[in-house]
Amino acid sequence: MNNIETKLGKLQFQNPITVASGTFGYEYSDYVDFNKLGAIVTKTITKHPKIGNKPPRLFETSGGLLNSIGLQNPGLENFIKDELPKYRGFSTNLIISFSGSSISEFKEILLRLEDEEGIDGYEINVSCPNVENEGLAFGVDAKIVNKLTGELSKLTTRELTIKLSPNVTDIKEIAKAAEDGGADSLSLINTLLGMAIDWKTGKIYFKRGLAGYSGPVIKPVALNLVYQVAKTVNIPIMAMGGISNWMDALEFIYAGASVVAIGTQNFVNPKITIETINNLQNFLEEKKLTIKNLIGKANMEEK
Amino acid sequence: MQKILPINYIEKINKDYFIIYIKNKELALKSKPGQFFELLPMGNYKGLLRKPISIYNIENDTIGFMIKKIGYGTKYLSQLKVGDFIDFLGPLGNSFNIPMNQKVMLISGGIGYAPLFYLSKELKNKHNSVIWIHGGRSEKDIFDSNIMNYTNDGSYGKKGFVTSNLEKILEVEKIEKVFTCGPQIMMKEISKITQKKEINTEVSLESYMACGIGVCKGCSVLIKKNNENVYKTVCKDGPIFNSKEVVWDE
Repeated sequence: MNNIETKLGKLQFQNPITVASGTFGYEYSDYVDFNKLGAIVTKTITKHPKIGNKPPRLFETSGGLLNSIGLQNPGLENFIKDELPKYRGFSTNLIISFSGSSISEFKEILLRLEDEEGIDGYEINVSCPNVENEGLAFGVDAKIVNKLTGELSKLTTRELTIKLSPNVTDIKEIAKAAEDGGADSLSLINTLLGMAIDWKTGKIYFKRGLAGYSGPVIKPVALNLVYQVAKTVNIPIMAMGGISNWMDALEFIYAGASVVAIGTQNFVNPKITIETINNLQNFLEEKKLTIKNLIGKANMEEK
Repeated sequence: MQKILPINYIEKINKDYFIIYIKNKELALKSKPGQFFELLPMGNYKGLLRKPISIYNIENDTIGFMIKKIGYGTKYLSQLKVGDFIDFLGPLGNSFNIPMNQKVMLISGGIGYAPLFYLSKELKNKHNSVIWIHGGRSEKDIFDSNIMNYTNDGSYGKKGFVTSNLEKILEVEKIEKVFTCGPQIMMKEISKITQKKEINTEVSLESYMACGIGVCKGCSVLIKKNNENVYKTVCKDGPIFNSKEVVWDE
């Protein structure tokens, strides 16, 4: 058996490294051979085009990045016409991230995408902090997540993964609700809520006040949430949150992730995904380990 | 392109400004005036994101980056030594549209001087006559005594702003095209004046930036396209825009 292969629900992955939605796009094909990734996860698309939030949209902290992009995207039909054809040609898994403002809109988007070939799965974004009435309201309510997942899982045989927000009282409850609703897998975490204020003037930096926080600083938070959720559910996890190198990736696999996604670090090093895959492969070969035997094997043993 | 290259030479201008030079034929050949690179210092750098720095000069294989010490990233860059390595991503973005045989004016403010330097050379190569107005807060923001300089405090050149006498200069010199880079407020005022005079004006915009290649949409600015306002990325759609397209009052 190939030691770096893994699975996410219905999908076979040639390696566990993929990309976090929102941080990756076709532009990276100048730097990365997409065929070598475990999967491609697109930026979140919505039914109608979204112009995005008013600038400023970025703020850098020590080891972290606040963003307020607002799911800027060309909308479902433009995505299908202009972008989907570019992604279809790759031999790896293609996971489309989308969000809606009601259960019926989520269903409508999914059904439209069912007509399109070359898609292997959906990541349901119920957790973006940067838009009003979209996603996040769903993601914080276990009952709605359960209902949404139930409705969507009936409509597709493709991989259905629910992206969870860390900005909830108990993520385990939401995770269980998605599993009970028929999700094939979970992906976590979306960005943490954060904000920035100028100490000199008291001015709130982002127009919406809040923003999504990502980058290496959130890794310990993400690691804990992945660990907690992995102990709670039986469906596999795609983990993201500050993963910046192959060692971070291994930590998340130990915590219970079957697949790990690199996000903010793509902005720093466009080749980080490929470097991570190669380094992970070398490590596993050297230590004669396989990914599948490491998933969820975090332990307290003295070594 | 992504290349890790050593610093070949460092020129210290004064306590706020310095120039880093690298040597790479391939990058030098690809680079056009107005484009930029995203720099990530190797070693002990504790910043997260790369720093977008415009191309100051190209001479044969040598590329120069003129940098102002502002935050952690640029201060870190200022402490590097010859031989230290930087990870370069670029050249990125679009470039200035260079006319031929025209009377053009360059208007810069502060570090906005940097991208216009390389542009000025290419303009002269294309037989344009070039007038350059530069402004800064004080004497230390002045880089060339042979151009028209303004300082806010009057410590060098004329006291005032680059816009102080602009309308008249444009008229007298019969300027056909304007290129500008500097603070947003300065470029906004210049655009108002040149639009009134119907002079084609290209602006080089600045923004917080993450990916540098058009993916994250973090550096978006509002741009008028076909009577509709849309967000365009400074990193990929820009950094050069026609001043008429820019929605200044966002």
